[in-house]
Amino acid sequence: MFFIVFFAFDRDKGGAQISEESNRRSAISDIYIGLALLLIIGGIALAYENWIGHALIAIISLLLMGYAITTGAMLKGRLKRKSGNIFKLHRKSGIYFGSFVLGSFIYGLWMRLQHGESLLSSVHGKLGLFILLVVTLQDIPSLIFKNRAKYRGLHRIIGYALAPILVIDAGWGLHNGVTGVTKSLVLLHSISGGLAALVLVWIILEMRYPTYKSLARAKLASYLSAFLITAGCWIVGGYNYLTAYGSQVRPVILAGPHPWAHEVIMEAKEHIFVFLPIIAFALSITLSSLDRNTFQDDAKSRHALMMIACLALFMVLFMFLMGAIISNAGQTGMETLK
Amino acid sequence: MKESSTSIVSAVITIFLTGCIIITHDISKDFRQSLTALTGHHWISVSVIAVILFVLSSGLLLSSKNLRKILRSYDIGLWSTALIDVTVIMILVIFLVLIAHSLAD
Ligand code: HEM
Ligand code: HEM
Ligand code: HEM
Repeated sequence: MFFIVFFAFDRDKGGAQISEESNRRSAISDIYIGLALLLIIGGIALAYENWIGHALIAIISLLLMGYAITTGAMLKGRLKRKSGNIFKLHRKSGIYFGSFVLGSFIYGLWMRLQHGESLLSSVHGKLGLFILLVVTLQDIPSLIFKNRAKYRGLHRIIGYALAPILVIDAGWGLHNGVTGVTKSLVLLHSISGGLAALVLVWIILEMRYPTYKSLARAKLASYLSAFLITAGCWIVGGYNYLTAYGSQVRPVILAGPHPWAHEVIMEAKEHIFVFLPIIAFALSITLSSLDRNTFQDDAKSRHALMMIACLALFMVLFMFLMGAIISNAGQTGMETLK
Repeated sequence: MKESSTSIVSAVITIFLTGCIIITHDISKDFRQSLTALTGHHWISVSVIAVILFVLSSGLLLSSKNLRKILRSYDIGLWSTALIDVTVIMILVIFLVLIAHSLAD
């Protein structure tokens, strides 16, 4: 019942403006560019049949997704509109995002084929197929039908749900690439880190394009970030570090070709990390002490909070990179010892 | 709420002190050993110390209006910049010390 009322309310807010905008220009040229991008990705896949290439394409698709969701939220007035034709930007980024997802998918399958491995046997690959289907469901009807009223609710749910799903799949893919075997605790802590990065981006967007409801959503996002960083990264990552890494992976890295991956990268990671929960908690506490009116009027506070969220995001991504280097050194160490 | 940045001030203090502890424990073997002795693992000790420092400094700032005034804890722009600067400097120094260590071995 709540949902029906909610959607009905949404519809009269955005409807007229959007159908008028959507008639302005056809999407044909964007679709051609999207197809050209797909061909380029195919070419790259033929030339570099390596998971790093596949991952880079997937990272671009993550960025495009962020852009599509941001402009989508602006279309609905959830985020403050920036100038320009937001609808066109949204459609364009949605189409290019579709190309990159399809490109990543084909790239992934191609790699497996080249290595003579069975297709779609991994969780990462299956989730990739699911993402591809969902993105198709998002793009094709939006491009074909003039009247969006019927699937507006679906477009919204899929649009926002895609973000965590794609992040989880990317984390999983990275795990397959850098460790070769599945270690559930390691996977759990790195996916928590990926999701923490996602909610930090969310906070940054709410601060940058504030509307009436931004503070409430930013508070929620900041509690999520504090939870993910504390429970997911600190406790799970730390537990794995104390129980499995020290006895099994560390000696292998030190004996392998890249001992610095432990001596410098891991030593730095475990200690620099400790700053991150402190920053996340400071951000949450500060946000929760603000009230809506001061938040709306006070551009300086919003800017300061956005910079803190950027610092936390930078640190999470840095942890991610260092983690990937460490795990990869563990894998190469294992191979040389064999 | 005028002094909403109090917890950012305590984050700056905590990160500065924890950073110094980390750097010292990378330089001095004795200090590292006493950290290990504290909880069984030096990393757990550092984590626990960071939490305690954050709670203590927050409590101290919240209880003393004077201290907040001296530290200008109402100035969120100042303290967010300080947080970024202190964190980045600590990260760089920790890296330099570890690289120097690894090269010296
Ligand atoms: C896969 C790529 C896409 C994603 C992730 C995406 C995501 C979103 C999101 C999150 C919203 C905001 C919904 C809300 O807050 O209620 C939105 C709105 C919207 N999107 Fe997309 N979108 C994509 C592709 C497209 C394409 C290709 C078109 C059109 C050709 C389109 C047309 C619209 C329109 C018109 C709205 C305005 C809101 C409405 O009518 O409900 N989207 N989109
Ligand atoms: C940064 C992100 C990503 C990384 C690091 C990554 C990494 C990998 C790696 C290492 C493989 C080969 C090993 C395996 O079987 O799992 C792979 C396969 C694959 N990837 Fe990704 N991937 C990423 C994102 C994506 C995305 C977004 C999609 C799809 C939309 C995707 C689709 C696939 C598919 C279909 C396979 C073939 C797996 C199979 O047939 O079972 N990947 N990826
Ligand atoms: C925001 C925080 C963190 C992020 C984003 C993060 C991310 C990552 C990533 C992406 C990997 C490699 C990918 C994989 O194999 O799935 C990794 C590996 C690792 N991380 Fe973290 N991490 C974080 C915090 C921590 C903490 C607090 C510790 C513990 C002190 C830790 C210890 C490790 C260890 C030991 C590995 C190597 C695991 C192995 O291959 O056996 N991480 N991390």
